[in-house]
Amino acid sequence: MSALGGPKQTGGIQPPTGTGLVVSIVLIIIALALAFFLVQMAGLIALIGIIIGGVLIGFGVHFVPVGGAPAAMGQAPGIATGVAMLAAGAGLAGLFGGAWAVPLGIPVALAGGAVGGGLLMAITCTMVNVIYVFGMGIPAASGKVAKDPITGDTFPEYKSQGTEGHGLPFISWVGGVIGGALGGFGGTLIYIELLEVYQAQLPALLGATVEQIAPVAVSLAGIFAIGMFLMNAVLAAYNITGTIEGPHDPKFKRFPRAVIAAAAASAVAGIFAIALSGLLGVF
Amino acid sequence: MSVKIEVGAGGIPHNQILIYGLVGSIVLTYLTYLNTITQTQYFAFFGGLAAVAALIWGTDTIKHLCSYGLGTGVPSAGMIALGSGVIAALVGATTGIFAPIVAVIVAAIIGAVAGVLANHVVRMDIPVMIVSLIELAIVGAMTVLGLAAMVGGTFNFTDLVTGTTTFLGFTIQSYEASVIGGSIIAVIFMLAAIAIQHSFNACLGPGEKQDRTLMLAAECGFLSMIPVAIISFAFIAFIPAIISLVISVVGWFYTYAQYIELSKRDAYAWLDAKPILEPKGGA
Repeated sequence: MSALGGPKQTGGIQPPTGTGLVVSIVLIIIALALAFFLVQMAGLIALIGIIIGGVLIGFGVHFVPVGGAPAAMGQAPGIATGVAMLAAGAGLAGLFGGAWAVPLGIPVALAGGAVGGGLLMAITCTMVNVIYVFGMGIPAASGKVAKDPITGDTFPEYKSQGTEGHGLPFISWVGGVIGGALGGFGGTLIYIELLEVYQAQLPALLGATVEQIAPVAVSLAGIFAIGMFLMNAVLAAYNITGTIEGPHDPKFKRFPRAVIAAAAASAVAGIFAIALSGLLGVF
Repeated sequence: MSVKIEVGAGGIPHNQILIYGLVGSIVLTYLTYLNTITQTQYFAFFGGLAAVAALIWGTDTIKHLCSYGLGTGVPSAGMIALGSGVIAALVGATTGIFAPIVAVIVAAIIGAVAGVLANHVVRMDIPVMIVSLIELAIVGAMTVLGLAAMVGGTFNFTDLVTGTTTFLGFTIQSYEASVIGGSIIAVIFMLAAIAIQHSFNACLGPGEKQDRTLMLAAECGFLSMIPVAIISFAFIAFIPAIISLVISVVGWFYTYAQYIELSKRDAYAWLDAKPILEPKGGA
């Protein structure tokens, strides 16, 4: 049993199948109806927030320049690791950035999340280029486009033969920061929505004040936000299949598939997270 | 990343491992319920053994799935497994005695949704995708539930969110000093994720042998059990925690020795490196 084929490498983008689209829409509607039935309007708003957060994560992952193993050898542009790892790093940094700011209000917390995720990616991309340029001695050159859309730098003269490009061009740096900011924003949004649901529900169920259950509510919302973040990030990674250079990469056009998948996955995972407090009252 | 992933043929059929892993992890998780029946905490270590059983099964599933070539790293499969599994495990834990069964059902639902989305929306078109993601979500859920039961001595949600602290000689109930309130679940999440994604990632390639990979999976499971056993000193009595620690260390030592033995069997040759001795009288 060796490599058995895998995804068909056909030209262009395969659109989602009809079954897939119908299943996604039905799942989202069922989840929204259940949320309304279980926790009334607050649950519905929370689930919509979770779905928006999930979609932002799935969309944001496509901006991040992922190079994988070839990038580590200087044979492809991007950061030398996998999509799931990079997205998890940016998302968790954003989540930590946003979670501490929740007492200061939702806008500050969301901004904190976006800045946290974006900052992590900015530092990562800068240091990656420092290592590429001063450590490995290779210039930044994209293999997918001839000119940087922002700076207008040309690439073909600098691209080594037999490689897909190397280093981290400015457009990829900008993409990484945008992706990190979107991921951090989405992760923080999921966290805040779940935290509000638990802070409203748990005190009555456990017979304690909001301050007393705060550690439980924060811990549950945090771990569920991480769980949903990783689900959405991995689905987006499967959509990219391997490496992407950033928003200028032709693979970026695949993002609608990941957006649909992230919306449905977040809806299903979110309804279970919201229903947790409901189940606790039954048993 | 176009690294060809090769897996070895032969060994125990996957379905057999599936049945052993599923039944084994459920039965072993239920054995921790002896704590509640006998009003002791001596049976907490069964939770860790349940996690090891689930991890062995999960590693074989990852091997099965990744032999198709995901296009992204092997660890992504472990990330989505734990991301969906942790939600299922905590939702399951709220249902008291039914926890392991409910966790399996919820995990199967989330995994099936992720699988359908991956195949029909993101268009991975991998035949085993849906089944594999269902299995992986169940593995993630059973690992988290098992390790949580090992730390807290129980898989009951109400007991996992309440702990006791001694303050000026008085024992008071506190939500902060609990497995979930103290965010121990986040540590368990990461320990389990590292354990599930490492083994196949380390062993893949030409000459991969099933028994060696699965032995490494068991080794990783016991290695994750050791910190969990140390954390459990804070939540369960001294003697039961010592029992957990001894079983983890003995299990890790045995599986590690066996893994080295199997690695030497499969290696072409090896060198037992010895430290260079200083010549007498100085050099």
